Amino acid sequence: MRTIFDKLAIVRWLTDPLAIGFMQRALLATLLLAVAAGLLGAWIVLRRLAFFAHAAGTATFPGLVVAAPWGVAPPLAALGAGLGFAGLLSRMTRRGATSADAATGLLLTAALALGTILASDVYGSGGGVDRLLFGTLLGLSDGDIALAAAAALAALLATAALGRTWLLTGFDPASAPALGVRAARGDRALLALLALTVVAVLPAVGALLVSTLLVVPAATARLLTASIGGLLGGAVALAAAEGTGGLLLAYHLDLPPGPAIAVIGGGLFALVALGGGALRVAR
Amino acid sequence: MSAPAASPAAVEVQGLSASYGPAAVALRDVTFSATGGQAVAVLGPNGGGKTTLFRALLGELPTASGSATVHGTIAYVPQTERSRLDFPVSALDVALMGAYARTSWYRRIAARDRSLARVALERVGLAERAGTRFGALSGGQRQRVLIARALVQDAGVLLLDEPFAGVDRTSEEAIMGILDELRAEGRVLLIATHDVEQARGWDRVLCLAGRQIAYGAPAETLTNAVLEGTYGEEIVMLDCGHRAVAIQHHSHSHNH
Repeated sequence: MRTIFDKLAIVRWLTDPLAIGFMQRALLATLLLAVAAGLLGAWIVLRRLAFFAHAAGTATFPGLVVAAPWGVAPPLAALGAGLGFAGLLSRMTRRGATSADAATGLLLTAALALGTILASDVYGSGGGVDRLLFGTLLGLSDGDIALAAAAALAALLATAALGRTWLLTGFDPASAPALGVRAARGDRALLALLALTVVAVLPAVGALLVSTLLVVPAATARLLTASIGGLLGGAVALAAAEGTGGLLLAYHLDLPPGPAIAVIGGGLFALVALGGGALRVAR
Repeated sequence: MSAPAASPAAVEVQGLSASYGPAAVALRDVTFSATGGQAVAVLGPNGGGKTTLFRALLGELPTASGSATVHGTIAYVPQTERSRLDFPVSALDVALMGAYARTSWYRRIAARDRSLARVALERVGLAERAGTRFGALSGGQRQRVLIARALVQDAGVLLLDEPFAGVDRTSEEAIMGILDELRAEGRVLLIATHDVEQARGWDRVLCLAGRQIAYGAPAETLTNAVLEGTYGEEIVMLDCGHRAVAIQHHSHSHNH
């Protein structure tokens, strides 16, 4: 009796929250974002753009801070800040004196500091800052969900249409032209899609935790598979599972969902990495 | 896999100069031609223009003057460690890349191309490694996979960049055997190499040191004077990994 009761309790722990309207909405957004961020994250991780993606997310913070006071739609303000980041980065690294990772780190810090100063001293954004940095998965607007759906659709289409281009450009760029692949065009599309995905993920997990959906699931899937299909599917599945788990954890323990997803994602990555290491040692 | 049938493969280069920008001409005064069935060793020091010549032939560099004409599909076979060995791609995935150019963006790779890729892997002796991750193969096996990729392209002209660098004896013999077959099928092979001794085994040799030093049959072309012109003072710079035959030639000429 006791064991059946326990099982039921676990089932109800999982299903009860999902009967509630705002949780269903959050779940829908999570699954849409899992498709967008999982697919794109797989390409980002393969192409070693994870740090760039994380910094691009953080760089949107000052844009988000000024969005409300300036009367600009937050996705547009975020996009503007993100494009400003990309433009500055390419300018700073053009001469080769500053390496891309140093410039990225510098701009990331500057964006965070600028956003904080704007929020605390210029616009007095107060408690809203937390939401901008860590997201509000439980309070998304219809527009946020539409954006997530658009990003998911774009990621699916682009992976189908440009997957081979991205694969070859990452794997063996020197041979790409001779194999009939237009690397530059593919790269532009990848960066545009990254911008769209970052903007879509922002409302859910915030400027600081973009990597939670965009990098962590793909990096974990990378440890588990040796095929492109496995990586793409694995990243989407892990993003969905970690997102759903984070939502449930947030509901039951009254945590902010973004950080809850980040903790689950980080923990899972550590388990897989340690487990894989242990397996290798055992062999 | 059949040899390129329609028009015979050939490479014709006339007074070619090529550069990466207006500042410096990387390679000048190159004139040679190679027809189907010929294997040309491209000799020269690092920075001597081997890669520049290949990129000009691939149409990736503007020609400052002269012309480079290629008849037939051209394929580039890079050094295998230039690619990302950590990528989750199998040997078959890499061979299939040879079919990318003829696959529309909205289609899957055709079943016919999939079987072509398997046949190509079989030809290079790697049929049973088709599912192995590219990075987990040996250097020589990876080189053979990249040759298989060129076969899937059905290239009439193959540009091979140091195909024997970092390759074990077994794979070296296997690659040599494949290249001989490709040559017999009427394909043109351009083989960039540091190995002077090996270059003597091919049909023609092209010596580059910023410009063309010599072109012709190895026996007449590879004289001490030409080798000195090609490698000059850089003899001592030949990496230990490469057989330093050029050094011996130099020590001969200095000791006599």
